[in-house]
Amino acid sequence: MSVTRTDAPAGEVLATSPATGSPVPPPGLTWRQKLSHWDFRFSPYLYVVPFFALFLVIGVYPMVYSGYLSFFSWPRYGLTHGEGVGFANYGHVLTDPVFHKAFWNTIGIFVLSAVPQVVVATVVAAMLDTPLRGRTWWRMSVLLPFVVAPAAAALIFGSIFADKTGLANEVLRAVGLSGVAWHTDRFASWTAIATMVNYRWTGYNTLIILAALQAIPRQLYEAAAIDGASRVQQFFHVTLPSIRPTMLFVIITATIGGMQIFTEPRLFDTNLQFQGGADYQYQTLTMYVFNTSNSGTDPYPRAAAATWIIVLIIIGIALLNYAITRQVQRRGER
Amino acid sequence: MSRRPGFLVYGLLSAFVLGSTFPLYWSFVIGSVTKERAIQSPLPLYPGGYFLDNARRVFDQIDFWSALANSVLISGISAASVVFFSTLAGYSFAKLRFRGSNVAMAFVVATMAVPTQLAFVPLLKTFSNLDLTGTRTAVVLPFLVTAFGVFFMRQYLLDAIPDELIEAARVDGCSQLRTFWTVAVPAARPAMAILALFTFMQTWTEFMWPLLILQGSDVQTLQTALDQLKIAPAGGIADIALLQAGTLLATIPLLLLFIATGRQLVAGIMQGAVKG
Amino acid sequence: MRHSTTRRKAAVGAALALVAGTTAACGGDSEASQASLGKDDVLTITTFSDFGYDALIEEWNADPDRPFTVEMTKIADWDPWKQTLTQKLQAGDGLTDIVAVEGDAMPQFLSEGASDQFADISDSSLDDRWVEYAYKAGQTADGKQVGYPTDAGPEAFCYRADLFEKAGLPSDREEVEAIFETWDSYFAAGEELTAALPDTKWYDSSGSIAQAMLNQAEFPFQTADNTIDVENAELELVWDTVTGYSTTLSPRVVQWKEDWTANFTNDGFATMPCPGWMFSNIKSNAPEVEGWDIANAFPGGGGNWGGSYLAVPAMSEHQEEAQELAAWLTDADQELAAFEAAGNYPANVEAQESLAAENATDPYFNDAPTAVILADRAAAVEPGRPYKGDMYSDILGLFQTAIQRVDEGASPDESWETFTQAVDGLS
Repeated sequence: MSVTRTDAPAGEVLATSPATGSPVPPPGLTWRQKLSHWDFRFSPYLYVVPFFALFLVIGVYPMVYSGYLSFFSWPRYGLTHGEGVGFANYGHVLTDPVFHKAFWNTIGIFVLSAVPQVVVATVVAAMLDTPLRGRTWWRMSVLLPFVVAPAAAALIFGSIFADKTGLANEVLRAVGLSGVAWHTDRFASWTAIATMVNYRWTGYNTLIILAALQAIPRQLYEAAAIDGASRVQQFFHVTLPSIRPTMLFVIITATIGGMQIFTEPRLFDTNLQFQGGADYQYQTLTMYVFNTSNSGTDPYPRAAAATWIIVLIIIGIALLNYAITRQVQRRGER
Repeated sequence: MSRRPGFLVYGLLSAFVLGSTFPLYWSFVIGSVTKERAIQSPLPLYPGGYFLDNARRVFDQIDFWSALANSVLISGISAASVVFFSTLAGYSFAKLRFRGSNVAMAFVVATMAVPTQLAFVPLLKTFSNLDLTGTRTAVVLPFLVTAFGVFFMRQYLLDAIPDELIEAARVDGCSQLRTFWTVAVPAARPAMAILALFTFMQTWTEFMWPLLILQGSDVQTLQTALDQLKIAPAGGIADIALLQAGTLLATIPLLLLFIATGRQLVAGIMQGAVKG
Repeated sequence: MRHSTTRRKAAVGAALALVAGTTAACGGDSEASQASLGKDDVLTITTFSDFGYDALIEEWNADPDRPFTVEMTKIADWDPWKQTLTQKLQAGDGLTDIVAVEGDAMPQFLSEGASDQFADISDSSLDDRWVEYAYKAGQTADGKQVGYPTDAGPEAFCYRADLFEKAGLPSDREEVEAIFETWDSYFAAGEELTAALPDTKWYDSSGSIAQAMLNQAEFPFQTADNTIDVENAELELVWDTVTGYSTTLSPRVVQWKEDWTANFTNDGFATMPCPGWMFSNIKSNAPEVEGWDIANAFPGGGGNWGGSYLAVPAMSEHQEEAQELAAWLTDADQELAAFEAAGNYPANVEAQESLAAENATDPYFNDAPTAVILADRAAAVEPGRPYKGDMYSDILGLFQTAIQRVDEGASPDESWETFTQAVDGLS
C-alpha cells in the first residue's frame, strides 16, 4: 500500500479520486447522495472495527496487562496483586540460572529445527519442481505430517526416543552402537525435540518454497544455460537469490515458533516437576514462564516479567535477522 | 528444469514420504500390541492384534466422543469466526482507503511476531473473573480472530478483485455493503475456504491453551483428552499401547479431513506463500 | 502461517468483562454464592492417580434417592494436578466442587492466604473418625478444617521372593524381616543381591528410597517456624546415602515413567517401599510376574508415604453438598471400598479396625496378610515426622529432581549446588 492511498479520504476506491478532504459532504447533494457519501466514508472503518475490537482484547490487552503486573508483588494464592516492587521481578528472572539455561535451550532447539528444516525443504521443493508423475499426490504426501497435532507427535516420538525401551536406541544397538541418552544428554534431547518440530513443519515449508521456485521466470534459467551455467551453478546463481525473500519468511516464522515451543518438550519431559529434564536440559523459555507462574513466591508477576523479557528477545532476534539479511543482500548486489 | 526426473528424484522423494508416514505407522504398531509387548525388547515391527482391544480401553477411559464433538465445535466456530472477521477487515484493507489503514495493517502484521501465548497469566485471571474457566467458550474465545487471517485475506483480495469491478458497482449505485456482498465475497470464496480449513486445523491441534483452561474440568478436547490417557485403570502409570492407540484415534478425524481437502490445502499454502 | 495463526489467547473475555460491568472475584476472598442442587444436578470432583472411587460414584449415581449426581475427573499424576490446582486457586476460578490434595502439599494449602481459598468443612461430630495425625494435618493452625483424610500411606516393603532365592538370600516372609530391619542391613543385602544377579538392581528407584528416608527425618527442609533450611545433617544423610548407592543399587529410572514401568516385567529390581496404594501399581504393572511378596518390616522403623485429602474450594457454589459427599467418601465403608479397589489404606479408624479383623490376604502377593501388615506398619509410623512446612512439597520436588540428576550422571556435589540455588529461587 502506498502512502498516498492512506492519505486519501476514506471510502474511496483506488480508481476514483474525487478527493474531498472535508468530513462534510459537498453542498448541494441530495439526501440519498449524502447517505452514499457517508456510506463510502465510514464503511471501511465499520469493516475493520469488529476485527480490531476482538483483536485488541485478545492480542493486545493481555500483553499490556502482564506488563503492568510485572512491576508488582502478588503472593501465591493471593487474589489481588500487592505493592509495587519496581524491577525486582525482572531482576529475579534475569539472575535465575534456570532462565539462562532455558534461553540457551530454546536457541539450541531452534537452530536444530530451523536449519535442517530449511535445507531439507529446499531440496525436496527442488525435486517437486520437476515434471513429476502424480504431482498433486506427492505434494499432499509431504504435507501429511501437518495433520499430526503437536501433542500427538510428541507422544509418538516420545515412544521412539524413550531411553531404554525406545525404537531409536533399539535400532542403534542393533547396528552395534550404544544407545543415546535422549532425556539426559543436552544435545541429544534438543535433537529429539527438534525432530518432532521438523517432522510437522518440513513438508509445510517445502510447499512454501516450492511456490517460490515456481514463481521464478523460466527465462532466467534459459539465459543462464545459454551462458553455459551447469545445473548446480544455476541453483546457486539463479534459484537461491530468487527465493531469498521466501527463505526469510520461512526463517522468521520458524523463529517465532521456535521461541514459543512448549508442547513438545513438556510432553517429552521425564522430570516429575516438568523442569525440562532433571538438569533443565530442555526446559524452554515458555516452559519457564509456565512453571514460574505456579511456583515459588510472586508467581504471576515473575512469569509476566519473564514474558516481557522473552518478547524483547524475540524483537532483538528479528532485528538481527533483518540486519543480517540486509548485509547479505548488499553483498549480493555488489 | 524441464528434464523428466530420474529414479534418483523418485527414490529420494519416496524416502521422504516414507519418513513422513513412519511415525503414524509406528503409532499403529505400538497401539496394536499389549502394553507389556510395547516395551519389550526387541520391539514389535509389525502391528499386532490388539488395536481394537486398546481402542476399547481408550473409549472406556476417556469420553472420546464428547472430546471429539468439542474439538469439532471449537475448531468449527473458530474457523467460521476467523473467516468472517478476516474477510471483512481484509477487504477493507485491500480495497478501500481509509485514514490509518497503513498503520493499522502494519500493527497487525507486527503482532504476528509477538508470542501472545505467553500472555496466559492475565487470560486465566480474566476468564476466571468471568466464570468461564473450564468451559468451551473459554477455549474458543482466543481463537476467534487471528492477525494471520486478516493478513491472508488482504493479500488475496488485493489481486483477486479488479478495482474496476468495485468502481463499476459504485457507479451502479451499490452501497458498500452490497458491493462487498456481490463483488468481494464471491471473489474471496476460494481464499475463505482455505483460511477456514487452515484455522480449523490449527485450532484442532492446539494443546497448551485448552490444557491450561480445561484441566480438572469435565470438558475436554481431543488433545487434552490424550493427556488424560496417561492414567492407567489402577495406578498412575503410563500405558504406552493405550496412549498410542488413543493418539492414532485422535489423529484419524484430521487425517480424513486431510484426505478430503488436501488438494485445496496444498494450493492454499502455496498461494499464500507467493503473495506473502 | 504457522505460528501466526496465532494463539491470540484470549482476552476477548476482558472485553466482555468490561461490557458486563466486571463481575466479582476481583476483590477479597468473597465466598461464591451458594446454590442448592437437585437430584440430577451435578457435583464435580477431581482426583489424581487412582483414589478407587469409580465404583463408589457409580453406586452413588445409581441410587434413585441420591440428593445430587456426581461427576469425577481423574488426572494422571499428582504433579501436573498440583500445577493446575495452584494456578486455578490463584485465578479463583475453574476448580471442581471437591479437589483431592496430596498430603505432602497440604501444608502449603493450609498456609495463610491459601487456606482462605478453601471452605471450612469443620464438623466436630467427625473428630474421632480418622487417625488423629492425619486429621490434624488437614486443618490450619487455628483449627479450620480444610481437608478430610482419604487414606494413609504406612509403608511396608515389597520384594521379589523369587529373585531373593536366586541370589541366595532368605526369601521367606518372616525370614526377610531381618533384611528390612535397619537401613544398613537393607543396603548390605542389596549389595549381596546385585553381586549375584548383575542384571537386577536392588530397588525400583532412587526417588522412592529418598522418599522413604525423608519420611523418617524430623526437619528435612524447614525448621518448626518454617524457615527454609536444607543444609542440615538429616537431609545430607539422605542425600549422601541415596546418591552414594545410585550407581550400584539403583536402576536410575524416574518413578512412574516408561522405563520404570518396564523394570517391573524384566526383573529390573527386587524391592520397593510399599504403601498400600503401591500394591495395585505392582499388580497392574506386572500381572504375569510371580514372586512378589510383602515384608512386615521397614528399615529404621516406619514411615508414611502419601495419604491424601478431599477439600472444598471456596469458589464452589455447592459447598454444603461438597462437604456432604467428601464426608461420605471418607466414611468407613467407602474408605474400605477404596482400599479394595486401589489399595489405599484407610485413614478412617473404623475402617482400619474392620480391615484388621477381616484379616484379608492377597493371593497375588503369595497370600500375604495385607491388612495385618498395613495395620502393623501404621502403628510404627511416628506422627509428626517429618515436619512438613508450607514449602515441603515444592522443596521435595526439587530434591527429587536433584537425585534424578545424579542418577543421570551428574556429580553429587554439582547437583547439590544446583539444588540449593533452586531452593533459594523459591523465595
